[in-house]
Amino acid sequence: MTADPSLKIVIVDESPLRAAILEDGLREAGYVHVLRLSEWHNLLARLHAIDPDIIIIDLEDPSRDVIEQMFQVSREVKRPVAMFVDQSDSATTEAAIEAGVSAYIVDGLKKERVKPIVDMTISRFRAFARLKEELEQTRTQLEERKTVDRAKGILMRLKGLDEEKAYALLRRTAMNEKKRIVDIAQSVITAAEMLK
Amino acid sequence: MRRLSIGFIPLTDAAVLIACAERGFAFAEGLEIELHREVSWANIRDKVNVGLLDGAHMLAPLAIASSLGLGHVRVPLVAPFALNLNGNAVTLANELYAAMGETGEDLATGEGTARALGTVVRERQATGAEPLTFSTVYPFSTHAYMLRHLLASGGLDPDRDVRLVVVPPPYTAESLRSGLIHGFCVGSPWNSVAVEAGVGRIALLGSEIFGWAPEKVLGVHARFANAEPEVLHRLVRALDAAARWCETSEALDELARLLAEPRHLGLPVDMLRRALQGRLNTTNGGAPRSDAAFLVMHRDGANRPEPAHALWIYAQMVRAGQTEFTRDAAHAAMEVYRPGLYDAAAGNVGRLPQDIDPVRTRFGVPFTPDDVEGYLERVRGK
Repeated sequence: MTADPSLKIVIVDESPLRAAILEDGLREAGYVHVLRLSEWHNLLARLHAIDPDIIIIDLEDPSRDVIEQMFQVSREVKRPVAMFVDQSDSATTEAAIEAGVSAYIVDGLKKERVKPIVDMTISRFRAFARLKEELEQTRTQLEERKTVDRAKGILMRLKGLDEEKAYALLRRTAMNEKKRIVDIAQSVITAAEMLK
Repeated sequence: MRRLSIGFIPLTDAAVLIACAERGFAFAEGLEIELHREVSWANIRDKVNVGLLDGAHMLAPLAIASSLGLGHVRVPLVAPFALNLNGNAVTLANELYAAMGETGEDLATGEGTARALGTVVRERQATGAEPLTFSTVYPFSTHAYMLRHLLASGGLDPDRDVRLVVVPPPYTAESLRSGLIHGFCVGSPWNSVAVEAGVGRIALLGSEIFGWAPEKVLGVHARFANAEPEVLHRLVRALDAAARWCETSEALDELARLLAEPRHLGLPVDMLRRALQGRLNTTNGGAPRSDAAFLVMHRDGANRPEPAHALWIYAQMVRAGQTEFTRDAAHAAMEVYRPGLYDAAAGNVGRLPQDIDPVRTRFGVPFTPDDVEGYLERVRGK
């Protein structure tokens, strides 16, 4: 399926990172007219001025209701309908909603021309969700390492251990108590705070 | 225990649904309701459509528009329970209200307010000023029809003399402050939010425009209603019991606190308590405007989905130019409302007092359900 460069696509997304991922993907796929709106301010007037063929919006954006008004006021010209509620393809619909993407197209555009865009958007939304999750994990890991380091420091000071031995003590205690090292480290820190 | 996923929008009139889920009413019927807070009416409709939600807090006109396929792909929905009547208010920018005061009209009355608004708009037109912009929450909403009725009663054409736009409720105060809009009609407590921010004042309560305006319903997919009538029956019973509780004076404090929780509305308890009581501060620090009918959650048969209300909604859609009148569509609109399901579940407990005008139009052209075509001709000034 080759991209149709004449299609005008608007991305409404408050998350600049996700919007950038989408924009890049669409451009790589050969879509030239890709515009991003990151603000709800005067959204309707701006959408009218752009007159897009396709609008892609994050499902958790309240501006969806604003966009639906556009279908009402512009219905004499072109009447857009929500694409993902195309009943003939409930699998795409559900995939889109679950990934958090809402895509609207102008009525009359052939489904074959729109489907690759929507499919790509769904996979990019999912990739973004994974990215966020990984970031979250990294952040947690970093926090955990800091906690363990602090506990090690306390043990080194109080018990005169070197770093390796302090860590071994934490690990052994964790194994004996069937707990995670970070939990043991946290209790060492808490105890040290209390005994101050 | 049957689990149900139900969506809601953070508004005071989600109270019955929230109380039903959180205060044991659902549990008593063998149901466990998992509440999902949603950000837009479009989300509510689409998630009910694909089955991610079993049912939802829904604008009554949205349930009908969806069933008729207006503005979107047709999705047949069923409304077996009316969550409330009324609950909206019209807030205007301070400068606009001041200009209206100078017309000499009595702004304490709905009719005076409508006439004053008409005068100010015509004066602006004469000087070539930009038209005033007003916002509602969704194209198919009681809010839009209230505002249109108010404007029409002031001798204005809502599509020519002013601009009507959609602004999501959490953005209304900011939009008013920045001058993007000059007024809006939304549900509580968003009017109070704008008032407390000092950017506008409440000009009229919705109940001062229509006495019994249908507002939110429980909307479910027709597929669910047909496949699991027994579960729906229990849900309606649970909602009816919750609605009865919500309107008792003993429930007030607890209900306000429940709604104020961050996972529900996340707004100040006092503001919500006042909205539940129908006492709204019209200006920041000013005297409250009070109407016991501001938000009706149970009494007067408010929970029975009256087909006459569905017909009124359909007539407003035609009046707003959203669709052309046909008798078949009028009939289909009425069939979205299911008083039979309500009566079977809740018992024949209460109906609206029989009135010639089922929405109790306070001023302007009254609604005549027996002669919708005649009504439409009158509102169009023919």
